[in-house]
Amino acid sequence: MFKISDLQSQEASLRGLKARSRIILFFLIIISLAGVIQIVKLTVIDQENYVTESEKNRIIRVPVYPARGLIGLAKDNKLLVENIVAQQLTINSKSTTDIASTIVDIQKTIGIPEEVVRTFYKVLSSNPRNRNITLMDDLTEEQVAKYLVNKERWPSSNLEAYLKRYVIDNSLFSHVVGYTGAISSQEREDDEEYRYAINSRLGKSGIEKTFENELRGKVGYRTVEVDVHGKEVRELDKVLPSKAKNIFLSLDQELQELARKGLRGRKGAVVAIDPNNGLVKVLVSSPDFNPNIFNETAKGNLRSLSSDTNAPFFNRAISGNYPPASTLKPFLGLLGLESEIISWNTEIKDEGFFQIQDEGRKYRGWKEEGHGIVDLNKAIIESSDVYFYELASKTTVDQIHSFLKLFGFGQKTGIQLTAEEEGVLPSRNWKLGRTGDSWFVGDTINLGIGQGYITTTPLQLAVAVSVLATRGKAYKPNIVEKVNTTFIEPELLYQIEIKEERNWKKLEESMISVIRSWNGTAHNIYNPEDFLIAGKTGTAQIKSLTEENLTVQEEYENVRKDIKKRDHAIFVGYGPVPNPNLTVVVVVENGESGSAVAAPIAKLIIDRYQKLQESDV
Amino acid sequence: MSKRVLDYNLNRPFSSSGISLSFIFKDTVLVFSVLTVLVFGLFMLYSASGQSESMVIRQSVYVVLGFMGMLFIAQINPNSYQNILMNLYWIGLIMLIYVLIFPDDSHVTKRWIDLGLFSFQPSEVIRLILPLSVAAFLTRKELKPKYSDWFISLAAILLVSFLIYKQPDLGTSLIVFTSGFLPVFLTGFPLIFIFFGIAFLGALSPIIFSALSAYQQQRILTLFDPNADPLGTGWNIAQSKTAIGSGGFFGKGYLSGTQSQLDFIPESHSDFIFAVIAEELGLIGISILFLAYALIIYRIFSIAYGSETIFGRLASASIGFIFLIFILINVSMVVGIIPVVGVPLPLVSQGGTSLATHLLAFGFVLSVKRKSGW
Repeated sequence: MFKISDLQSQEASLRGLKARSRIILFFLIIISLAGVIQIVKLTVIDQENYVTESEKNRIIRVPVYPARGLIGLAKDNKLLVENIVAQQLTINSKSTTDIASTIVDIQKTIGIPEEVVRTFYKVLSSNPRNRNITLMDDLTEEQVAKYLVNKERWPSSNLEAYLKRYVIDNSLFSHVVGYTGAISSQEREDDEEYRYAINSRLGKSGIEKTFENELRGKVGYRTVEVDVHGKEVRELDKVLPSKAKNIFLSLDQELQELARKGLRGRKGAVVAIDPNNGLVKVLVSSPDFNPNIFNETAKGNLRSLSSDTNAPFFNRAISGNYPPASTLKPFLGLLGLESEIISWNTEIKDEGFFQIQDEGRKYRGWKEEGHGIVDLNKAIIESSDVYFYELASKTTVDQIHSFLKLFGFGQKTGIQLTAEEEGVLPSRNWKLGRTGDSWFVGDTINLGIGQGYITTTPLQLAVAVSVLATRGKAYKPNIVEKVNTTFIEPELLYQIEIKEERNWKKLEESMISVIRSWNGTAHNIYNPEDFLIAGKTGTAQIKSLTEENLTVQEEYENVRKDIKKRDHAIFVGYGPVPNPNLTVVVVVENGESGSAVAAPIAKLIIDRYQKLQESDV
Repeated sequence: MSKRVLDYNLNRPFSSSGISLSFIFKDTVLVFSVLTVLVFGLFMLYSASGQSESMVIRQSVYVVLGFMGMLFIAQINPNSYQNILMNLYWIGLIMLIYVLIFPDDSHVTKRWIDLGLFSFQPSEVIRLILPLSVAAFLTRKELKPKYSDWFISLAAILLVSFLIYKQPDLGTSLIVFTSGFLPVFLTGFPLIFIFFGIAFLGALSPIIFSALSAYQQQRILTLFDPNADPLGTGWNIAQSKTAIGSGGFFGKGYLSGTQSQLDFIPESHSDFIFAVIAEELGLIGISILFLAYALIIYRIFSIAYGSETIFGRLASASIGFIFLIFILINVSMVVGIIPVVGVPLPLVSQGGTSLATHLLAFGFVLSVKRKSGW
């Protein structure tokens, strides 16, 4: 069938084909070797790495956050801050190819403020691989309805229920409970134990912040297997979170309301503590704010409050530094007695002014014509400035500094709230450090009436006055009465011993007379049928009056034209005597009169507290 | 032609029990190796598709039809295909022009032809038709090809490659060029031309690279540093390598590959199915698959070298090489040593076009076997 030549050419072509095949095979074998080496490298040499990689791919730990602890009042376990269910709209940044058009559509359909969208994009850009990013918190019912009708259009969006922090009494306890805010990127970086989710809110001020650990609880976690879309496939392991603790405050709702009403929105603060254990019954700073605005997605309200020049976020009760003014006089009187510079019988002639030397500067008292012959008792009752100028001139700043320090001036009380200030208890070194000037005698004279460099917070003053009420016992002010069901023990900071124990009583009598006596500066609040109250008024000068050709009244008339330069009204007091159970400090900024403005608020609170105590028993 | 077919039928050997299996199969080892890979592929497809029965059923239809087509083609005298194969080139060319003019909207690149009941990718068909056409053309006379034959072939190959490059699909274009060039090379195309051609391309390579589209450049660059773009092209390779590596020696078990079952492997049912096999069945599973492939290739070359006609020999050898090259390209791509190109794992990856063309090509190889059996 075939010719010989055919066979020969067949042979030749077969040989040629085989030769060429070998060339191709040679190259293909080299490539195959590379492939085999790579496969062996992957499956044998680097296997462990890749096993870890694939585990990392599929197994993720999902933290389980316990619901945030509640804040309430120890009295009747009344709730102040709770968690309520709200709806939030989240966007999955991975599963949508065009987030922008989805967002625009959602925004148009359900109505989302532009700034909320802007915030979303900020979060999105800083967390590119994050799975669910909140677009908007706290949707209204209408928004939820509109979303549900159209949700097929936005497969990457999701409606999630979450617990929203809700402050029940709005502003009433705002400066105590504080507020929560979204976790910042810094806080997340510092959070090495993954206690917070990306959209966690944590305490930013007040009890919410100081008791953050208790309120947060301990995070649990679930180990779950996920697919490439991050969708959960099954649960592998679960560690339950431990329940957060509830915090119960010692505050009294009625007294809070009374104090708030008394301040009538004026700038100021009211602090009331039980001198026998340091429990804080009233802590009001005015103006205040509604903590719920921090949980709103739209920040308009928050912004307007932040720019309010009356500083509603400023907690005047523990952060406000005020000159104690005449309320410091009982303490200085006690200093005089202790250091035996004066006795109860020491008398001076008050002619309305004091001079160190005959030709020196005149330190004027608040009463132009003076108080006449004045002893310590009368000096406290009528608040004679000249008596205390003279007393101060006989002491040194060092003596005043170390004595007042005993009562807690110039130191934080350690209350469990944020942003407590320590006030200023001046000393020679302090002044040198602050102003570069050495201490002058004149500075000490000013200190004698609680003016000049000395400042104190209302809470500090309340602690100091409580020491007078308890005859030397100083308790740490405590605003948290119990955590869950565990009561917090009162903490006695120290006990002041004085040489003459009866001086406590005599000082108290003078302070009672401030109210009871016809010439007392706070006689206006006296009611013979009520409990006895020991107190002291103070009027803190913002602007010192130095023009000697004008009378004090004339000069002040000019000063008070500027409301912000008007004096602060202060009243400190405790009652009922004997056995006081409440110390009250009232500061009304630019309120001018400690007796007319501040004292009535304090009296109302002490009286109401007695009625409440009776009804409780 | 009809006389030859008759010849062939008259000379069929008969056994006492009728037509024997080895008679139909021609080459039992080859057919069973192919069958093994096909069944193995269906099982792997079930796993890789996220246990989608419908996808496996659909693929099974192609497997059965393709297998029957293969056996049918195997029964016919291979020389009778020579003219048909030569002319198939024109049909392939028309299809490629068609997809360029009437692109299918449902796909990003213009690769598909929709025939209503099913759609197919002309470029998948072309990469087997082209080398067979060229082989048929070069061996139409029982003589060593002339220069003119080679250059006509080269022109035809370049035209087809260019049309595919325009789809745009650079990877397939290069593969089609390679497969078309195989018979040219095998018939003794002077090496000196090849060296010049390579030198010329090497000199031009910077210009060519800049002429590539951004995604093609990206694919090439990703190869050099897959971690540079962990969520883009490199992410696919990284996930595929993780799957293969974590499978280790014994694999994680059938249907238990976490990378595969949780969708971390991209295109796990088609181009990346090798990663699924490696993850679930490990190095052992891969080796078994490779063994089956090796048997197929070995049998193809045995048949090719035993063929009496130059055409049968050249066409079969080309098919053997193309099959091997496709496997190498797919595996190299999945293990991350070459850029990602659209080459399925032959006989295993989901996709009817590729499966059917391979089976029909094997049918042709089997038909060559008959001649040598004489």
